[in-house]
Amino acid sequence: MLFAFTFLIGIISPVSGVGGGVLFVPIATLIFPFHIDFIRGAGLVMAVTSALSSVPFLIKKGLANIKLFAVLAPVMIITSVIGSILGLQITNAFPGGKYYIELMLGVIILMVFTVMMMAKKLEFPNVEEKEMDSWSKKLKIKGAWFEPSLNRLVKYNVKNLPISLAVFAVVGLIAGMFGLGAGFANVPVLNLLMGMPIKVATATSMLIITANSPAIGIYLTKGAILPSIVVPAILGITIGARIGAKVAEIIKPVFVRWIVLGVLLFAGFMNVLKGLEGLGILPHIFGG
Amino acid sequence: MKDNNKNAAVDKMGLFFGKAMVIFTIAGIIVMVVPAIAYFLGYKQFIPHDEVVRYWANPVAKFWMLTKGAPVHGYGWIFDNLGYSDSVSMIGVMLLLVTPLFAMIAAAIKASGGIFRFLFFVSAIEFIVSVVFKMN
Repeated sequence: MLFAFTFLIGIISPVSGVGGGVLFVPIATLIFPFHIDFIRGAGLVMAVTSALSSVPFLIKKGLANIKLFAVLAPVMIITSVIGSILGLQITNAFPGGKYYIELMLGVIILMVFTVMMMAKKLEFPNVEEKEMDSWSKKLKIKGAWFEPSLNRLVKYNVKNLPISLAVFAVVGLIAGMFGLGAGFANVPVLNLLMGMPIKVATATSMLIITANSPAIGIYLTKGAILPSIVVPAILGITIGARIGAKVAEIIKPVFVRWIVLGVLLFAGFMNVLKGLEGLGILPHIFGG
Repeated sequence: MKDNNKNAAVDKMGLFFGKAMVIFTIAGIIVMVVPAIAYFLGYKQFIPHDEVVRYWANPVAKFWMLTKGAPVHGYGWIFDNLGYSDSVSMIGVMLLLVTPLFAMIAAAIKASGGIFRFLFFVSAIEFIVSVVFKMN
């Protein structure tokens, strides 16, 4: 059952640009008997493994932008470490603090969902060469991929790299604080702010998620990763993610948009719910 | 913005990044899964599977108290017990953890410009610092 469940998440992950942890953790808490500690550990290994399994294929197809990753990675890795330190301090000094942050995170995700829902041209935003910022121009951060639904090669440019770097620094901080891959935040920034086509944004988000792998160490050192839970989960998501990466290549961008919106709505709703649970406003359903 | 060529040009450093990622991901999964199969078959279990099932509903510290008498801190529970199939399986998870680091180093070697080589090396150093920090 765990294998089948993670196999499905594996297919959705590369298509939606989220690692899978954001889907796995809340649902697994409801349907499996494991404690939330083991679910979080497995969720993180799954998120990273689904990204590792799909990214090489997405790079090869021109969907994941390695140059942009090279620029974002130094900022996001360092801010995610700072986020981890802050997260531990908040938890130690103010035990209820993380629930307020979780609640805020949920509200932010739902706001992003609303903006993406109302925004136009998400599938193929048209960023002209003259709209590119000077950094993107200088580093030649642009690309092209063959879009089967159009039966032609689609080229794209990006814009707003300096301001996006600042936003990604905050995303890294949040990712570190919560031990998340933060794919749900990466996709809207890449798509709405930088003007990347939705399929390129979801694929590049998977690439960014790989930089979160050091967080696995936290769970390993606490003994929260066990073969009995992790191995069936990883096998499911690895096979699913390979299929998902191929689906991501051929699926129509409009469907990608709806899947991303669905995942955002789910993630936002779950975070609000967990925050309210933690603060004692709602009774506990999801544990941890 | 559009043309009819089916082949998108992919940067060499991207391809090397991808190749390194494939190699280490497959290695990590094999190292994780093969000992796990031995574990599920009952071969040299550090924590017997039926005990795991009995106690997996407990918080992680209590789980270790109930199964081994004390909670674990650090990587000692893996490296001190490499004679057991479940501990060896965790080496595979550690390989997955460091896979992006090797991919970044591979990309840095084949980087298309000095700036990208520099950025990947900075990322690799930060990654190592991050792993060390998160270990503690």
